Amino acid sequence: MVDKDKDPAETAVPAEHAGTISRRQFLTGFGGVGLGVVLGGSLFKGFLLPDEVFAIPASGGYLLVDSKKCQGCNTCMMACSLTHHGVQSLSLSRIQVVQDPFAKYPNDKAISQCRQCPSPACVEACPTTALHVDKKTGVRTVDVAKCVGCQRCVNACPFDASRADWNFEDRHAQKCDLCLDTPFMDADGGPGGQQACVAVCPVGAISFTKDVPLQSDRGYDVNLRDAGWAALGFAIDDEGKVAPSAPATAPSAH
Amino acid sequence: MERELLFDSATWLVWLAPFVGVLAAGLTKRRDPVVEGDRVLRHDAAAILEHWAHGIGTAVLLVSGILLGLWFVPALVGSGEPVWATMDVHFAAAVVFLFGTFYYGANTLLEKKRFREHLPTKDAIGFTKRHYGLLLGFKKFTMPPERKYFESEKMAYILALASTVLIILTGLLKVAAHAVDVPVQAMAIVTPVHDIATVAMLAFFLAHVFFAAVLPMSWPVLRSMFTGYVDLEYAKHEHAGWLAELGYIEPGADAAAGTDDSEGNN
Repeated sequence: MVDKDKDPAETAVPAEHAGTISRRQFLTGFGGVGLGVVLGGSLFKGFLLPDEVFAIPASGGYLLVDSKKCQGCNTCMMACSLTHHGVQSLSLSRIQVVQDPFAKYPNDKAISQCRQCPSPACVEACPTTALHVDKKTGVRTVDVAKCVGCQRCVNACPFDASRADWNFEDRHAQKCDLCLDTPFMDADGGPGGQQACVAVCPVGAISFTKDVPLQSDRGYDVNLRDAGWAALGFAIDDEGKVAPSAPATAPSAH
Repeated sequence: MERELLFDSATWLVWLAPFVGVLAAGLTKRRDPVVEGDRVLRHDAAAILEHWAHGIGTAVLLVSGILLGLWFVPALVGSGEPVWATMDVHFAAAVVFLFGTFYYGANTLLEKKRFREHLPTKDAIGFTKRHYGLLLGFKKFTMPPERKYFESEKMAYILALASTVLIILTGLLKVAAHAVDVPVQAMAIVTPVHDIATVAMLAFFLAHVFFAAVLPMSWPVLRSMFTGYVDLEYAKHEHAGWLAELGYIEPGADAAAGTDDSEGNN
């Protein structure tokens, strides 16, 4: 509630003319200076400053997979969803096992894991820096609070299926963070800890390395068939011709 | 070529708009309401500009904001291009909204009476009861001498003012997040507050459009938001208190008063 009667002091001396600089002069000057600062700053940034160069640190770790060893049990997907979201949902998993029922081995399964790219297109595409590089670990991850749901990261990822996923329940982007933020996992995650998919894969078709893999499919989809695999009576080479008794090969990533 | 959001490529416009609004207010010469023959100047050009800049900006912001996903309401636009296009529309509306709001704010700082005339007075409850009781057909109620703005409008103004302040503060932080690293904790507060304020603004906006544009009784005032003027007869009926503040006296009443005086003197 206000008193509608005029302030006598204000009637005697208009407020906008009080003092040496009137209120109108102050506001006009404030607006003009602000306008000049914004325009000048924009011109300075646009024409005089050199283009910014962003040095993106490498990730502290990478997932390696062996699609030819994968049995398609989807345990990794369940574990991913469970440790991140507390529910078992194939759709909420950040790692995807793609199965083609019409294809034959070795082309019937593919594990799509985030490659933690050295030049991540998803990070560059994000308009709000929600998809960013974690300063401590170098992991490419999503700050959910900043995500506006434009899904540019999902479209920007050069791989199919996109390694940046759309969380259809909470409506934000998400991606593999090497289990950095896993509220439903007892063990510590991230590059220095445990990765749920690596821990639960019953055949050891997913591995973790801290070395930067060769930047090709062969660098990330490697041969993880070791002596234990041979002991089960399965071939250890990609063509399925090498007898199980042959010596195991080391991962070819690095 | 990679498509860029206006929020990224033209962020400077968001920071420029408020200063343009303040500068424009400083350079604007306002006209006070005045009775001119059979009509009354209700809104000068500056009032019309600030109202429509703020109003159109708000309307487009509300529509595009709701399309993008209003807190508990799922986003209505899909992924990719539709979202980017909607965000660009939201950006353009934000620039217009900021200009209109800061133009109004600075004008108000220059003449506090323009702020006071929007604030409810001690008559708020009584006038509103009489006004809307009459509208609803209760014969015991009579039209109160409303001032320039109805007391009910003034009460709604408080809601609009609060939601506008919240939307601008949180909105500017959301824009800042495009350029600097705003802490997660801050964004976790900013986003829901922006959305809650939007719901409040939506409530005000719908009520305002209904009472100020849809109801036929409001059409003379709606017209004045384009022409600046209302008919004197309308003002006498709906805004008697305002006419009294403008010093208007019925010509007949003046003459009658003069006659009474002369008779008294005799």
